[in-house]
Amino acid sequence: MSVVNYGTREITCKIVYYGPGRSGKTTNLQHVYSQLPEDRKGKMVSLATETDRTLFFDFLPLDLGTISGFATRFQLYTVPGQVYYAATRRLVLQGVDGVVFVADSQSRQLAENIESLQDLHANLAEEGLDPRTLPLVMQYNKRDLPATEISSVDELDETLNFRAVPYFPANAINGGGVFETLRSIASMVLGRLSAPAAKGS
Amino acid sequence: MAQDAKKGAEEEEGGEFAEFMADISEEIAQRVASLEPEPQSKSKAEAKKTPVPPDPGVIVDWENIADRMIEEMR
Repeated sequence: MSVVNYGTREITCKIVYYGPGRSGKTTNLQHVYSQLPEDRKGKMVSLATETDRTLFFDFLPLDLGTISGFATRFQLYTVPGQVYYAATRRLVLQGVDGVVFVADSQSRQLAENIESLQDLHANLAEEGLDPRTLPLVMQYNKRDLPATEISSVDELDETLNFRAVPYFPANAINGGGVFETLRSIASMVLGRLSAPAAKGS
Repeated sequence: MAQDAKKGAEEEEGGEFAEFMADISEEIAQRVASLEPEPQSKSKAEAKKTPVPPDPGVIVDWENIADRMIEEMR
């Protein structure tokens, strides 16, 4: 859980980008990374297969510097979308503060989106996290594809967004909607920041 | 010209992050202010301390009163 640590003057939040394979999770992180000023650029860790699929996960530490006297860090992760990496997805979800669900807007990917969303809920529950209350935003990616190939935003929202959380059409490959999505999830996570329960924690 | 365009694009790109930072900074400032533990106005010792009366002849240092009495009796 994200905590304001008054002892070390630190705020750290973990955000996970979840979604089916090839929906654009890594592309989201790559765009964020590309926009970082040089002095803020840490190392983006990305483990990919020969065909550029995420093998394990991507990790982008986002050091926002000192804000209101607190060293602020956002840790952005992606999970591998392929069904057979279920164990990795559960691992990455440990200690998550907020989730961005990156859905593929292509009509033929609708079933995969639903399956991935169900997988997210199951894994959150397994981690003892409440999928109904955890900060979540939806991103409907690949809106740049021809209209004949993609579902409408309304259709996607009706099918996937039963919690009625904020949603963002995006074309992450061109950067569209990436920061809007990040800003929204960051805001939700910060809204749930709490002071540490124990002294010195 | 091409360089100017590139520079403009880079500035625009940097602007996206700057805008994000501005929003987040404001949000964090508000959140931190609302969570900041209130400074303790007085320590327990201070809170228990007997107020100093105007008469300097009155013994108010109750913690050392036994020592003083013993001292006086010697």
